[in-house]
Amino acid sequence: MIDRFASGFDPFVIPFLIGMIFVLGYCIIGAIRLILQLDAEDKKKFFLSLITPKTIWKNIKDLFLNCLIHVKLWKRNKLLGYMHSSIAFGWFMLILLGHIECFVYMPHRVKLFYYPIFFNYFVAENEYTLRGAIFFFLMDFFLLVVLSGIVLAIIKRVRSRLFGMRRTTRPTLLDRVGLYSLWMIFPLRLLAESFTAHISGGSFLTIPMNMMFKAFLGDQMNMLPTWWAYSICLCIFMCVLPFTRYMHIPAEMLLIPFRNAGLTIKHARRGFAKAQVYSCPNCGVCIDACPMSIKKANIKDTTVYLNRNIRRRNEQRIEEISDKCLLCGKCTAVCQVGVDGPQMRIAQRSIRNYGLDQDYSGMDISAIKESVASEPSKDKVLYFAGCMTQLTPAISRAMESIFRKAGVDYAFMDKDGGLCCGRPILMAGRFDQARQLIHKNKEVIKASGAGTLVLSCPICYKIFREHYKLEGIRVMHHTEYMLELVRAGRLKLDGGAGSIVYHDPCELGRGCGIYEQPREVLRQTGELVEAEANRDMAICCGGSLGSLTLGFDKREDLTRNALHNLTVNDPDTIVTACPLCKSTFARYADKPVEDIAETVDKHTK
Amino acid sequence: MKDNIVIVGGGIAGMEAARQLLLLGYKPILVEKSDHLGGHVADWHCLFPDMTPAQQVVKDLTEQIKDANIFLETEVSFINKMKMGYNVMFSNGVNVICKAILLATGFDLFDASKKEEYGYGIYDQVMTNKDLEHWFNTGDDKRITGKDIKKIGFVHCVGSRDVKAGNQQCSKVCCITAIKQAMEMKERFPDAEVYCFYMDLRLFGKKYEDFYIKAQMESGVHFIRGRVSEVSENLQGQVIVKTEDTLSGKPAKITLDLLVLMAGIVCNREAVQTASMVQVPIDSDGFLKSRDNILNIIETDSKGVFLAGTATGAKTIPETAAEARAVALAIHNYLVSQQ
Repeated sequence: MIDRFASGFDPFVIPFLIGMIFVLGYCIIGAIRLILQLDAEDKKKFFLSLITPKTIWKNIKDLFLNCLIHVKLWKRNKLLGYMHSSIAFGWFMLILLGHIECFVYMPHRVKLFYYPIFFNYFVAENEYTLRGAIFFFLMDFFLLVVLSGIVLAIIKRVRSRLFGMRRTTRPTLLDRVGLYSLWMIFPLRLLAESFTAHISGGSFLTIPMNMMFKAFLGDQMNMLPTWWAYSICLCIFMCVLPFTRYMHIPAEMLLIPFRNAGLTIKHARRGFAKAQVYSCPNCGVCIDACPMSIKKANIKDTTVYLNRNIRRRNEQRIEEISDKCLLCGKCTAVCQVGVDGPQMRIAQRSIRNYGLDQDYSGMDISAIKESVASEPSKDKVLYFAGCMTQLTPAISRAMESIFRKAGVDYAFMDKDGGLCCGRPILMAGRFDQARQLIHKNKEVIKASGAGTLVLSCPICYKIFREHYKLEGIRVMHHTEYMLELVRAGRLKLDGGAGSIVYHDPCELGRGCGIYEQPREVLRQTGELVEAEANRDMAICCGGSLGSLTLGFDKREDLTRNALHNLTVNDPDTIVTACPLCKSTFARYADKPVEDIAETVDKHTK
Repeated sequence: MKDNIVIVGGGIAGMEAARQLLLLGYKPILVEKSDHLGGHVADWHCLFPDMTPAQQVVKDLTEQIKDANIFLETEVSFINKMKMGYNVMFSNGVNVICKAILLATGFDLFDASKKEEYGYGIYDQVMTNKDLEHWFNTGDDKRITGKDIKKIGFVHCVGSRDVKAGNQQCSKVCCITAIKQAMEMKERFPDAEVYCFYMDLRLFGKKYEDFYIKAQMESGVHFIRGRVSEVSENLQGQVIVKTEDTLSGKPAKITLDLLVLMAGIVCNREAVQTASMVQVPIDSDGFLKSRDNILNIIETDSKGVFLAGTATGAKTIPETAAEARAVALAIHNYLVSQQ
């Protein structure tokens, strides 16, 4: 390999340089800004994670698997996965191999920023070697891989259903500019490299094309214009990138280390939240996943549109979208980059100005405290039913019956009235009020001296688990606790409940990751059948407290759709582990709907 | 021999329509799914506003329609539309060709256990309006018999005007029924405190307002405006009602020995099926759809198919009877026009 030009320069690299410098500058400044926006605690966490071997390794792994291979997309749809990984991984390999090539053959040119990108223009092949042939082969191979991805991308524009997507977003004008320039980059590269292949060398793709062009065109007048076109396309793509959905490519490279550092959303629009907004690829997978989008309703209230409107600073739409959401978390479960839809919305709600600020710090809880107060004992159980279970008394009755059957020493924390756990008001973004309630309830729990706190409502369970910090007290959902009783032999099930389908409540499943415990209990209670979509793909019952504005009349379709999903295997009984899901389903179901506690209580020997 | 007329439902509407059609010279065929005539009224004890015994009303009507063809414990299996009318097959094997069908299919009492927060079927001391009438009639109910009843509560609008219960309609008769039952309970338990938890009192009918005044002035029934939010049970088996007294703006918690839920009126679920056989759809309120809701409430868009009584919405007995008489005339006019 020898240099074709002593200067190692041609004016056509200028557009590329402009684009590259612009996009790099933009991303570096952006990343620094986002990092500076983190609060002191998060900054410390972030920098510590960058030097901790465990998180370094996790970052590398996640970056490779998510940004290049797109494993989550593969799981969703093979074609969609191939399309994305062929473009991302193929392009990455082209860049990497280009640089290695440059290192191997033209080490003195490595300092030139553009040289590896336009390597084939600047070099001439003076000898045939096996090593060279392998390089050329790999370069052509990965170019072919990328091109196959581009072909699929074009097909996807027309027939997205082939890729497992029913609905998607409409690209904006700039998105289209970015998209079309991205599509053009690789065919132009193929053309440019083909035109130069008789000088620079090539492989199975570029050499035959070179010969074909020579036969048809006879001259080499096309060489320079195609290299120019290739460079201009790169420039256009890089210059529009920060203002399009393709911003997700650099943003995700920051989001992954942020997430692996254990950061949470602290501010609605800054730091971690902003990294999430920019990481959204606008793919629209969340549209199909959203339970509200049934019958083509509320499509514009999905997470992708939240991100879009945050980028556009459309405050009115941000408010509408944030308030309507049920916070079921399914968008997060399907999201390729892991944008946390519910947390993002709660954060938006939290920066709202309310006319009235309630104050719960003065509430008198002495009577409740007195009713449960006792000497500390590890074996003692404190049962908190919560408002939702109070409205479904069959559940608390079943719980008390189970406690008695298993000989558990228990106290009923809110038998005669109690305070709210704080989760609904936390969901409304009113953190101070939630803290006041947490503080009050903590006093009661501490006074009870119990070693275990049992909750029959997943809404309560989530906040008790995540925000109460009850040192020395086990916080358990009743599904976990019943499983413990069954395993310990304190509760014996007769298995006669017939066929049961289990509905995963959002707050318990996606919210707390509890999927297996209730199933293990139910397998001993009856014959467990599964719903069509279950576990982290379960469909919200529609009754969620998460939504502040979705009207009752709008929820019926959601509930019926969720019921349809549950009953595909024609179970005798629908069992759930959330009082709110239970009462929501019971409204429209033509099969009996029970809480798992009722089922277990009925079928205990 | 005049034309055949099939009346589906042997409640007040069906019976009164049959009575009028007999007077007009027809011999209607009346099918009733239960083993007795009178529908829900047959289960009631006394009727407002004059405390007429319900049994007497049913008995009088039954007496007057004995010439009609009455099939008890019989349902409509299917209806085929024919050129000149309908071919109706009953579950007892009888097959009838008729020119007119009257759907007097009545209502279902709302299943109070669906409002789980009120604890019907869960707590011992919770009953419905129908259970209470049953006790008035038989004196047999373990929730009352032999119990020391000191405090009684009535919850209005259980399954009525409640979007979450799937019924937004007012059931019309429960306000006055609750007042009637409250006064009757007060008579039986003079020392007991009786509470009515209501959101509105809709006392539109003849002498209803008098009833209400009497309940307050003479019987001393306490009326508390506010919806009951939840009901719990204490160790003594009493029920604790949580509500808000919206007139004083304060939350209230009242411990009761007996809680009576005023279950509302919803469309008869089986009637929906029968109606679909003759292409009578369901209106947006959940009841059978009339041709229009002003002048043709007893007629449908299906030729020769008529409606009467609570099949088209909640009604009092006098309203139902008036509709039944009107429908008899409408059927007569229809049959004359067909000749």
